Amino acid sequence: MTAAWLAAVALFVALALAFVVVVERGRSARLRAQLEASNGELEHLQRACSRLAPDGVVQRLIDAGSADGSDPMVPERKVATALFADLVGYTALSERLDPAALARVLNGYLQRMSDAIHEHRGHVSTFLGDGILAYFGALRPDPWQCTDAVTAALAMRAAVADYNRELAAEGLPPIGVGIGIHRGPGLAGLIGSRERMEFAFVGSTVNIAARVQGLTRVHGVDILVTEDVRTELEGAFDVDPMPAEHVKGIADAVVTYAVRGRSDVAQPSSPQRVGVKDALPGTT
Amino acid sequence: MAHALENVTWEECLLEPRRDRALEAFTRETQGVPNPNVAYFASVPWVARAFVELHPEYGLLQRLDPEVADLVSLIVSQENSCRFCYSAFRSLLWAKGMSRDRIDRIEQDLARGDLPARTRAAISFGRMQSRSGPPAAASACEALRAAGVDHDELKEIAYAVAVTDFSNRASTIAALPTRPMERMPEQWHMRLMRPLIGRILRSHRKRGAPTPLERELDFPYAHVVRAYDGSPIAPALARTLEGLWTSGVLTRRCKLLMLAVIARGLSCAECAAEVAPALAAEGLEGAALDAILNHLDGPELDETERLLVPFARETIWYEPARIQRRARALKERLAEPQLVEAIGVAALGNGLCRMGAILGCAA
Repeated sequence: MTAAWLAAVALFVALALAFVVVVERGRSARLRAQLEASNGELEHLQRACSRLAPDGVVQRLIDAGSADGSDPMVPERKVATALFADLVGYTALSERLDPAALARVLNGYLQRMSDAIHEHRGHVSTFLGDGILAYFGALRPDPWQCTDAVTAALAMRAAVADYNRELAAEGLPPIGVGIGIHRGPGLAGLIGSRERMEFAFVGSTVNIAARVQGLTRVHGVDILVTEDVRTELEGAFDVDPMPAEHVKGIADAVVTYAVRGRSDVAQPSSPQRVGVKDALPGTT
Repeated sequence: MAHALENVTWEECLLEPRRDRALEAFTRETQGVPNPNVAYFASVPWVARAFVELHPEYGLLQRLDPEVADLVSLIVSQENSCRFCYSAFRSLLWAKGMSRDRIDRIEQDLARGDLPARTRAAISFGRMQSRSGPPAAASACEALRAAGVDHDELKEIAYAVAVTDFSNRASTIAALPTRPMERMPEQWHMRLMRPLIGRILRSHRKRGAPTPLERELDFPYAHVVRAYDGSPIAPALARTLEGLWTSGVLTRRCKLLMLAVIARGLSCAECAAEVAPALAAEGLEGAALDAILNHLDGPELDETERLLVPFARETIWYEPARIQRRARALKERLAEPQLVEAIGVAALGNGLCRMGAILGCAA
């Protein structure tokens, strides 16, 4: 009788345990599914956020909130290079195009400019209407930041020329770009209110870049750099000195240089730089 | 569960695997099983051997807990977005007997705040070195010391980070195929052999024993090797660096220039000081060298240098797809051994800079 009771109890316990195991496995599977769904949502959110903030900033913010609690986005003093670009010809376009077509052309322009900046290690901080503010060396150390900024500006010039060919094929008027570049100190990091923050590089460097961009219309050129940038370039680019101009908010007249292109000295000798492969004995 | 880096864009592999029986035997002897990296880099033996010889798991670590070393490697591979290394690491854990759920949990644990302080400090160090490099070395050292990590352990953590950096870069630049690694746990024959592979791997994984350096070293970056004198890391690093400097695939000057560019890009004054005298001996110094390093070009450079000096810069902060596209462009201009050696120099240079900077503050 006792043995039968014991067997019944053991059976009951075994059944109860099996029930618990089944329930827990089910719960575990549901939790895992929820976790995967959350991961998917997080990735989607990250992709969406990456459209609203510079490359790398979103990822670094997510990481900063994880294990070590360190905050890599705490503002710090840095020397960075600011590039300010403005669309030339927007008024003519806006008078001819309906809003949808105008937005398409504007987005096409902004995409091409962003690609050129990103390709040369800059990051677009913000779009100001048809203007673009980008930094080089603000997010990560970059000893070649001036070269990168000017190379990006040349790529932007080339991209606008390509885009104009597309616009011409559609019977649209050409656009242009005016670019000002300045290098100097500032405060880089997350800056803003409790409700809204953004990665920014704050200081007179950005203002000067914007003013220098304004001078491109005065001098009738598309890319202007300041003396601080030219010094860093050390002859790697062909530049023409422009007359010094007074600009708003800066006491001294600003000396600028128009960039023609890379100088021959630093230019790779020729696109057909073959022969390297053949120079190594015993290789095919 | 799909792992974190499966969506990272990854190009076709740039290199052809090549059988080298001596290398295969060396790998089997050291690690017990074939290392998938080795065959792709076989045309330059020192690069291929470095993957095996520098691996911290096989008799190089004396103080650092191997599980912490694993976590550091995992976090650095994540930070560097090395899909290959990350997959390889997960497959290795799986082969050692861990379930895929357990591996996922380990990854989730990386974000936990209740890990031991030393483990958290080591993980944080790996992150900081990958993101910021040498400029963050002083604060990273302070954090490790505050967590109770001593001088020797700190050096081993720096080593684990640096070697993972080397491995990440070499694998990413060459775009080593990730699918075989990612699919390994799904293949029936691998599942069948898993207990045997796990047993072999565990039997070859061992702690290091004190090993003095037996000879004077006289080559750039010897100071990094000397800093590990007494540890088995020192002779392993010395053999790799001797291989780098004696290999004639790229010129010594070209390799020095690549290392100088990486030192400048990572603001590593110690590494720049190590390379500068060697470049002076090659006839490049002062204003001429400055101009080359400022513009990553110059009339003094030969054709190969003009390709590889700017390429070295690309390897410092990279996105996998972009660096792989740039490397593909190089492939059309260089012989395969040149490309392999360039990848090895760039990868090792990045690792050495991160290691070298830490050694200053560790002392």
